[in-house]
Amino acid sequence: MSVFRLSKRERVLTRCAPISDKADTDRRMRAAVLHARRDRTAAKEFQCQQAFDQAIAALVRDIPVSGEIAEWFRNEKLIPQQKRSLKKLLRNPVVLSIATAMAVIAGVLVFIVIERMHEFPGSGTARKLLTIASSTRVGQLDAIQTDAGALNDFFFLKYRLEHYDVPAEFAQFRTVGARVFDDDEGHRVAQIGVPEKRMQFFLFPAERNPKDATIREFSGWKFVEQEGWTGAVRESAGVCFMAALRGEKKDLAPYLSKSER
Amino acid sequence: MTGDPAKAQEAFQSTLRAAAAKTAEGEPPPDRLWFFRDARWQSLIASESGLQPEPGTVDETELNELGAKQVRQLSPEQLAIWISGAPEPQRGALAAYYLDEFTLRELQSLLELKPNELAMLIDSGRRQFQAWLDVTTPVESEED
Repeated sequence: MSVFRLSKRERVLTRCAPISDKADTDRRMRAAVLHARRDRTAAKEFQCQQAFDQAIAALVRDIPVSGEIAEWFRNEKLIPQQKRSLKKLLRNPVVLSIATAMAVIAGVLVFIVIERMHEFPGSGTARKLLTIASSTRVGQLDAIQTDAGALNDFFFLKYRLEHYDVPAEFAQFRTVGARVFDDDEGHRVAQIGVPEKRMQFFLFPAERNPKDATIREFSGWKFVEQEGWTGAVRESAGVCFMAALRGEKKDLAPYLSKSER
Repeated sequence: MTGDPAKAQEAFQSTLRAAAAKTAEGEPPPDRLWFFRDARWQSLIASESGLQPEPGTVDETELNELGAKQVRQLSPEQLAIWISGAPEPQRGALAAYYLDEFTLRELQSLLELKPNELAMLIDSGRRQFQAWLDVTTPVESEED
């Protein structure tokens, strides 16, 4: 038995099937026409009916229209054109999909632009170090109790690290420990712990231009945020210093010199 | 619908006048179906005078493969006269259906008929027209 068997209702519908394809034909009629074309017994009869109807419709199209009537249709807008309201237009699934896609693209672009505005040379490394800061315990550092500003000699003498200087704003803080380690790119990083708000300081090489190896400098304090930690970064003599604490930018602001913020 | 160009023109102009009057009153015709609906009524009014065809007096026969070929041998005027000779509401149904302008829903709205009534009128009209063609426009089968 054919799956395209015509039901009684479909048989009725095919008797007044559209003569030519119309975009607004409803689904029941389209299904009835499809089944009539595929039904073994009804297909030939339906084909005959369609050919007959098409021949008559062609003849109807050839009925001459008097010049007077044709003139009316040329000169007059008899049928008011329904304007598509904005509300109806916005409910159109195609328009809705395009608008949603555009909004998402615009959102992503805005996000990228905002991200870029906060980027600076070395910001990627600074973020990684904030992640390290969040997982470092005091016991992991070598116990060194001195002023942070005095550690530059220690780094130079023990590790041959030049210009690993703690800026004047943070130089007077007493330290609880320090260490030097290599990051995942093989750069030497100095890490210092201080009791003040459980801050941590990092000193690491500034980012270099891959083409000519020149240092990519920037001026003043720049901020990065990662996993609830905030870092204030400054570059000097090819070395970046970052003061990091758990909190927000406003928690770090009082420690930074106003002129360089 | 009327079988008479003068009556058809009169019906057409009456519809236009009615549309103009509605527009002047600030209520223009809502859609194109209004024009066809009004023109149909105007045509019925215009053709009220004179002999009226009676239903069920015409022979019917099954459509055959030569039907389309027979139709192509007719002139538009012959077709118009045949349709105008059909009784109402079959005349309106055939006229609107063969304009090939409307969906089934629009035809129902225009003619105020149910789908099975419309299907029966059109199907019956086809068979009657085929019977008339067999008498007036015989063609030889290609196999003959």
